[in-house]
Amino acid sequence: MRIVLTALLLLTAAVAFAQSHLPARQLGVQWDRGAPRVSFSAKDLADERVRRELSSGLRKRIVIKVSAHYKGSNWGLAERTFGCDITRDLWDDGYLVRIGARNERLKTLDQVLDRCLAVNGLFVGEPKNYETNRGKEIYFFVLAEFNPISKKQCRELIRPTSGDDPIGPITVNIVRRRICQAERRLEFRSEFLKVPE
Amino acid sequence: MSRFERKILFAIGLSVFLTLGGSIFLAQGALREVYSVGVNERFGAELVHGVEARRGQLMALRSSTEQAADAVQWAVEAELARTRGAKRIQPLIEDLLERYEFVRQIRVIDESGRAVATATRSAVAGDPAMRETDRERVASAGGKKLRIFVHVVVPEVYFERLQDAGEAADVYSRLQRQSASVSDVYIWVFGVLVFFVIIVAFLIGAILSRRVTRRVAVLAEASRQVGAGDLTVSLPTSATDEITELTQAFNDMVRDLRDSRTRIEYLQRISAWQDFARRLAHEIKNPLTPIQLAAQEMDETYDGDDDAYRQKLEHARAIIEEEVATLRRLVGEFSAFAKLPRADLTPADLSDVVHAIEGSVPAMLEDVGGGSPAPVEVRVRAATQPIQVRMDPMMLKRGLDNLVRNAVQSARDARPEGGGTVLVRSYASGRSGFIEVRDNGPGIEEDNWDRVFDPYYTTKSEGTGLGLAIVKKVVLEHSGEVRLDRAPEGGARFTIQLPLWESP
Repeated sequence: MRIVLTALLLLTAAVAFAQSHLPARQLGVQWDRGAPRVSFSAKDLADERVRRELSSGLRKRIVIKVSAHYKGSNWGLAERTFGCDITRDLWDDGYLVRIGARNERLKTLDQVLDRCLAVNGLFVGEPKNYETNRGKEIYFFVLAEFNPISKKQCRELIRPTSGDDPIGPITVNIVRRRICQAERRLEFRSEFLKVPE
Repeated sequence: MSRFERKILFAIGLSVFLTLGGSIFLAQGALREVYSVGVNERFGAELVHGVEARRGQLMALRSSTEQAADAVQWAVEAELARTRGAKRIQPLIEDLLERYEFVRQIRVIDESGRAVATATRSAVAGDPAMRETDRERVASAGGKKLRIFVHVVVPEVYFERLQDAGEAADVYSRLQRQSASVSDVYIWVFGVLVFFVIIVAFLIGAILSRRVTRRVAVLAEASRQVGAGDLTVSLPTSATDEITELTQAFNDMVRDLRDSRTRIEYLQRISAWQDFARRLAHEIKNPLTPIQLAAQEMDETYDGDDDAYRQKLEHARAIIEEEVATLRRLVGEFSAFAKLPRADLTPADLSDVVHAIEGSVPAMLEDVGGGSPAPVEVRVRAATQPIQVRMDPMMLKRGLDNLVRNAVQSARDARPEGGGTVLVRSYASGRSGFIEVRDNGPGIEEDNWDRVFDPYYTTKSEGTGLGLAIVKKVVLEHSGEVRLDRAPEGGARFTIQLPLWESP
């Protein structure tokens, strides 16, 4: 019992330490019918290299994941992910942006970045995720990634060789995780705030 | 954990970890080499060139469509300038449509939005997916303005190929960037798996070594017990390996030690008894002659007339002389026992002793029968093959004589009217030679089997209890054993076992 308690204590301390070292930003949070709508900008993800890559004519992907957590915990209350597939149109000037099933044509890269990295009023979870946590302190964690390879695509791209080699699948899984990770990522959190009573 | 166990585990650990270290070192080099062959800068550069080439192809196509639109514009402007009207534009744009294969339609519209001329290439069924767009131009001449729409199409597959090439180059560049860490991952995974295999091997080694060391520890403990004087120790020998052989050898050693100690103790006891017998014989023997002479003198020097008293004297003299004779016989036997020499061993045939006994059987029967042969049949069967043992023939014959004499007496006592039999035989078995003496007498109670070889223990009224003690002493001095059990005929069976002699 004492070992379990010590382990929990250490885990909590580690989580608190990690949270305190995560850069905090001012996120706009509005509560709409019991669910939070967050607004923020992650446009600093697009550095010079990212801009160059986005203008290459090759399809690139920007993924933003926003999740809500209790203060001092990594346990997620709710999560929301959205992504943009961005292709500079080499045939006609401009950019083709696909968000979910919707295609948009934007003229400039700045418009693209505004569309994909400036988040405005994004619902994170549903009222039921928060109704039992009223008055509790929470924070929102934002992870913005440039050009991660999706798990599905990664599995298709890097496959273990057929055979009964026991090491192959294990190694391929680790290698996949490394190779398919985002080319650039940005992490930050909101200030701590209370779920409205 | 014992030191021996620790040493075994250390040896296992050292060998497996050396193997692990060596294999990781070699695998690291090999993997890096293989990886650098498969993922190198040149391949990456070629892939990037491929992407640029496809992009360049698309840009060239785009440029071509722009040029086509420009060409249409210039042609229309030239026609307007030449004819000052738009009447002959239709055949002109039809001709241009034929010239540019990626142009699907050309439309010319005047300032009021009316179509002046339109030329369209019909789509062919089964055409691949096309990317379509309009290139718009304005032609002006002679104060007139006409808007020209050139509808161009390019197969969508050009764009898809660019994306595919881009993806491949992207993954390849990621592989390139991660090449060092990926090979490290392989090494780590390999190392971790081998480490687990080693741990399993180590555990199996520990279990196996513990089984061995536990048995060695048992042996060590048993050795300590033997060192402390406990010679009853005997260890189980169930397995069939070197440790079992060692345990078996240990058991044999302890048994030999036990036998030797028993033999030494017995010989020490016999020696003490011999000393006692010598002193007893000396003390008894000395007064016997004066006693006998005194009795004779008392009898012979009486010159009185009292017949009754004379008779008493004669009776007393007879009793004294008889008892003195008995005592002399006892003293003789004690003296003989006390003077029993140590065996002088030389290689000889065991059956020679049996043959020698065969020669003395008639005299023995006479002796036991008290003048007439005892009604006992003595059968002697010597082995046909020589049985070479180291022995003192005189001493051994003396011991065997005692056994045969006892057997004849028992057979005679059990069957005084006849029918008693005694069998004496020699044979060899294994690494031992044997002489067996058995009779069909009453035998000896099993409770007394351990005591019959003790000096002065006898069940006979006239025995001294020295015969079997002498037999055992003689046999022990031959490094042999003598055993008593029940004969198949129902009487006693004595078996002398001597080790066979092997010439060096």
